[in-house]
Amino acid sequence: MRLGIVRGHVTLSPAVAAYRGKTLVVLEPVTMENLNARNGLGGGKSLVAVDELGAAEGQMVAFTEGREAANPFWPDAVPVDAYCTLIVDSINIHAKTVS
Amino acid sequence: MFLARIGGTVVAAVKHPTLDGCRFLLAQRLEADGSAGLEPIVVVDWLGAGNGAIVLVSTDGDIARTRLGNTTPARMVVVGILDSVQSHASARQE
Repeated sequence: MRLGIVRGHVTLSPAVAAYRGKTLVVLEPVTMENLNARNGLGGGKSLVAVDELGAAEGQMVAFTEGREAANPFWPDAVPVDAYCTLIVDSINIHAKTVS
Repeated sequence: MFLARIGGTVVAAVKHPTLDGCRFLLAQRLEADGSAGLEPIVVVDWLGAGNGAIVLVSTDGDIARTRLGNTTPARMVVVGILDSVQSHASARQE
C-alpha cells in the first residue's frame, strides 16, 4: 500500500454498472520527504481510488493498487485497481509522530 | 518481492473490516545500492519486524487472502526479516 491524501471526489455519469454506488476519491500520493516534513503535501502523481471508508478531503489514507484492489468486491469482477484500505490516524516515524 | 527498511508504525481506527487486528508498518523500499525509495509504503506484518529492520516484502496478496479471507485488499506483506544480504563481493550484516 502507498499513502495518499484525499484531494477531491469524482462523480461519473454514465459509468459501467460495477461503479454504481461507489465513491471515488482523487488521491495525491505522499513522498517520504513530505511525510517527514509534516507539511500536509503529497508530491506524487495523483490517481483515483474507490473509497468505502468515507475519507474526507485532506485526510491521509493507505491505498492498495493492482488486482488486490478488487478483492473487496469478490466474487464480482469489477474494473477497480486502486482501493482505500485504511484511514491514517497517526504515523509513528522512529521517535517522532506524524498525525 | 523486494527488500524494505521498516521506518515506523501506522495507526488506523477506520480500515477495511478484514484488517482488524493487523499490524501496519511504514517501510521504504530499498534499491540495490542501499538507497531508499521516494515514496513510503505501508505493509502488513505478522512476524514482528522492529524499527529499522530490513524485511522481505511480497506484493502478492495470496498470503493475505489465506489469512484474512478472499475479500481483503491487503497486498504488501512482510514474509521475512533479513539476516544478511550478500551484495557482489561485500556482505552487509544488518
